[in-house]
Amino acid sequence: MKMANGKIQMANGSEHPTLRPELGEQQSAIDNRQSTISNPEPPIDVTIAGVHFQNPVLTASGTFGYGQEFAKVIDLNRLGGICVKGISADPMPGNPPPRIYETDAGMLNAIGLQNVGAKRFLEEKLPFLRTLKARCVVNVFGYSTEDYVRCIETLNAGDGIDAYELNISCPNTRCGGIVYGSDPKLTEEVVAASKRAARFPLFVKLSPNVTDITVFARAAHDGGADALTLVNTFVGMSIDIETRAPRISNVTAGLSGPAIKPLAVRLVHQAARAVRIPIIGIGGIASPEDAIEFLIAGACAIQVGTANFYAPETPIRVADGISDYCRRHRIRLDQLVGSLKLPGTDSAPAKEG
Amino acid sequence: MLDTIATVTGNRPLTGGHLILSVLSPEQAQAARPGQFAMIRILGHSDVLLRRPMSIYDLRPGDNGDGEQAKPAELDFLYKVVGRGTAMMAALKPGDEVGLLAPLGHGFFAEDYLAEARAADEVLHVAGGIGIAALLLPARELAAAGVQQRLFFGGRTDADLVGVNEFQPYVAETLLATENGTLGHRGYVTGTLESYLKSQPGKRLLILACGPWGMLEATVALARRYGQRCLVSMENRMGCALGVCLGCSIRVRGEGHAAYERVCTEGPVFWSEHVVWGADQLPKT
Ligand SMILES: Cc1cc2nc3c(=O)[nH]c(=O)nc-3n(C[C@H](O)[C@H](O)[C@H](O)COP(=O)(O)OP(=O)(O)OC[C@H]3O[C@@H](n4cnc5c(N)ncnc54)[C@H](O)[C@@H]3O)c2cc1C
Ligand SMILES: Cc1cc2nc3c(=O)[nH]c(=O)nc-3n(C[C@H](O)[C@H](O)[C@H](O)COP(=O)(O)O)c2cc1C
Ligand code: FES
Repeated sequence: MKMANGKIQMANGSEHPTLRPELGEQQSAIDNRQSTISNPEPPIDVTIAGVHFQNPVLTASGTFGYGQEFAKVIDLNRLGGICVKGISADPMPGNPPPRIYETDAGMLNAIGLQNVGAKRFLEEKLPFLRTLKARCVVNVFGYSTEDYVRCIETLNAGDGIDAYELNISCPNTRCGGIVYGSDPKLTEEVVAASKRAARFPLFVKLSPNVTDITVFARAAHDGGADALTLVNTFVGMSIDIETRAPRISNVTAGLSGPAIKPLAVRLVHQAARAVRIPIIGIGGIASPEDAIEFLIAGACAIQVGTANFYAPETPIRVADGISDYCRRHRIRLDQLVGSLKLPGTDSAPAKEG
Repeated sequence: MLDTIATVTGNRPLTGGHLILSVLSPEQAQAARPGQFAMIRILGHSDVLLRRPMSIYDLRPGDNGDGEQAKPAELDFLYKVVGRGTAMMAALKPGDEVGLLAPLGHGFFAEDYLAEARAADEVLHVAGGIGIAALLLPARELAAAGVQQRLFFGGRTDADLVGVNEFQPYVAETLLATENGTLGHRGYVTGTLESYLKSQPGKRLLILACGPWGMLEATVALARRYGQRCLVSMENRMGCALGVCLGCSIRVRGEGHAAYERVCTEGPVFWSEHVVWGADQLPKT
C-alpha cells in the first residue's frame, strides 16, 4: 500500500492525482514551482481511492455546510477536501428545536439531517464547490437501500463530485442510517448496492455505537467500500434537572467535539488493523496534535468537525501543523500513517492486523 | 461578516448581574446594522467550546475618534451573566482579547422593514429583560429618520431594567414594568403594551420586540388582536452562526424543507406571522 515516492497509494486508486480539467493548469504550475524551490515544505498530499487531496485535512459533513458559507472566513483552497452536509434523495425538514446543546468539551446535536436534497444540491451548491482546489466529497444518506441508490443515481450526474461518503451511521433519525450501521449484514448490503450504483469512489462512514468496530469495518470492506470514515457521533443524552425534560427534542443526540477524541482514536486504531482499505479519522480534532494522533493510529487523512463552529481556521492550522511536524521529524506523511509504536515493539507494526 | 481577534476596551458592571463589554474593531463596527449580532469566543479556554451570540447593543467611535462625526470603532455588548460562557465574559479585562465573528444575521432594517417603520405612525419597542440589547441601535436609527417611538420595557425586578437612560433621546415615552413592582407598573410588559394598544385605535403601529419566548408570544398575540404588525428578534441556541450546523432552526410557516429557518441566517429578526408559535415550538434556550 505504501509507495517509495512519498505518495500514498490507496486501494484501487492510482498514485497520480486526477486533475480536474479546469484546474489542470493551475495545479501543474504549483507542482512545477514545488520542484524548483530548494527547500519546499514536505508534501503532505494524499491519494485515496484515486482521489488526490492536496493535504490530508477535510472538513466533516454537517459542520461545513456546502463550503460557500465559510468562504468569507477562511481560504477554502487551502483545504484538502470538503464533505458536504448529508444529502438525501429528497429534501428533508429536520427535527424540531432544540437541536443542539453544549456539554463539557463537546456538544450534542439532533439536527435530523435537514438538507436541500440531491437535485437542488447539484443545481445550487455543486457549481461553487467545483471551482475549488479542495476535493468535494458528498455525504449521502437514506432510509432504505433504495433511497441510498436513488440518491447516488441522481448525484452521479454531478460533475465535480470527487467521492461519496455513505452515512450509515446517523444517530438522529428514527429509522435512518443507524439501522444499517448497527447490523453488519445490512452494512454490507447497502454498501454493495451503493458501490454498484456509484460513479465515484465510495467512502463509508461508520457508526461508533457498536460493540466491535472491526466487524463493521470488514462488512463495509466486503461490500466494496473504497475507504472508511470513522467516526460519526456517539449517541448521548442530557437532561435539564429543573424541568426534568431532555435538553434535545429528539431525546437522544449525537455527541461530538474534543470529548470524543480518545474514543475515536481507539476506533481508528482498531479498524486500521482490521482492514487494508484507507481510513479517514474524525472525532474531536481541534489541533495539529490531535490530527497527528489519528494519523499515527492509522488514518491516512482526517476530518475536522465541531471545531469549525467556533474556530473556522482549524483545518488550515491543522494542515500547516502536520506539514511542520513532518519537517521537524523528517518523516513523510505515508511513513507517519499507522506508525504507532506499541509497547514491547521496537518499530511500528505492520498495518494489517 | 468578519472573523477577528479584537481587544477588550472595557467591561463595565451594571445592576442585576448585567455588564457592558466594549471591544475595539473598527471594520466590524462600521459594517454593523441595527439588530445584527456577534458571536463572542472566549479564547484559550476549552471548557467553553462554542461561541456565544450577543446582540450588538451600541456602536461608538473609539477613544481616538474625534467626537460625533467619527466613524464607529467600538462595539458594545450588553449582557447578563447566566452560565459558564457569560461568567467568563464577565471576567474579561481591558487589554484582553476575544474572538469576534460579526456582524451577523438580518437586522431590523433589512429588506422591507425600514419602509414599514417609516410608514407607521409610531414604532413601539417592546423589550423583555436582556432583549433590550437588540433595540438601542434601531431606536437611534429610527429617531434619525424622524420616526416617533415608545419603549415598553419589562423585567423581574428593577435591577433588570438596565440601559433605560440610553433610550431617552430617541423615545417619546418609556413605560416600565417589573414583576415584583419595584419599578414602574407591577406585572408584565405586555400589560402596559395592551393598555397602550387599546388607547390608540385607528393608528398604524409597528412593534419591534425582543425578549424571552413567552413574552414574545404574548406580544405577538396582542399585535394580532389589535391588528398591528410586529417584528420579533428571536433567540435560540447557536452552534456556528454561519448557517451550517442548522442547530438554531425554528419552525416557520412553510412545508417540508421550508418548515424551518435559521435564526442566525434568515433571522434573528422575523415578521411575527412568519414564525410558528406555541409551547411545542419553544426553542428552550
Ligand atoms: C441572536 C442572539 C442575540 C443575543 N443577544 C444577547 C445579548 O445581547 N445579551 C445577552 O445577555 N444575551 C444575549 N443572548 C443570549 C446569550 O447568547 C446567552 O445568554 C448565552 O449564550 C448564555 O451562555 P452561557 O454560557 O452563559 O450559558 P449556558 O447556559 O452555560 O450556555 C449553554 C449553551 O446554551 C446556549 N444558550 C443558553 N442560553 C441561550 C440563549 N438565551 N440564547 C442563545 N443561546 C443560549 C449557549 O450559547 C451555550 O451553547 C442572545 C442570543 C441570541 C441567539
Ligand atoms: C451539527 C452536526 C451535524 C452533523 N451532520 C452530519 C451529517 O449530515 N452527516 C454525517 O455523516 N455526519 C454528520 N455529523 C458528524 C460529523 O461529521 C462528525 O463525524 C462528528 O461530529 C465527529 O467529529 P467532531 O468531533 O470533529 O465534530 C454532524 C455533526 C454535527 C456536530
Ligand atoms: S447557528 Fe449554526 S446554523 Fe445557525
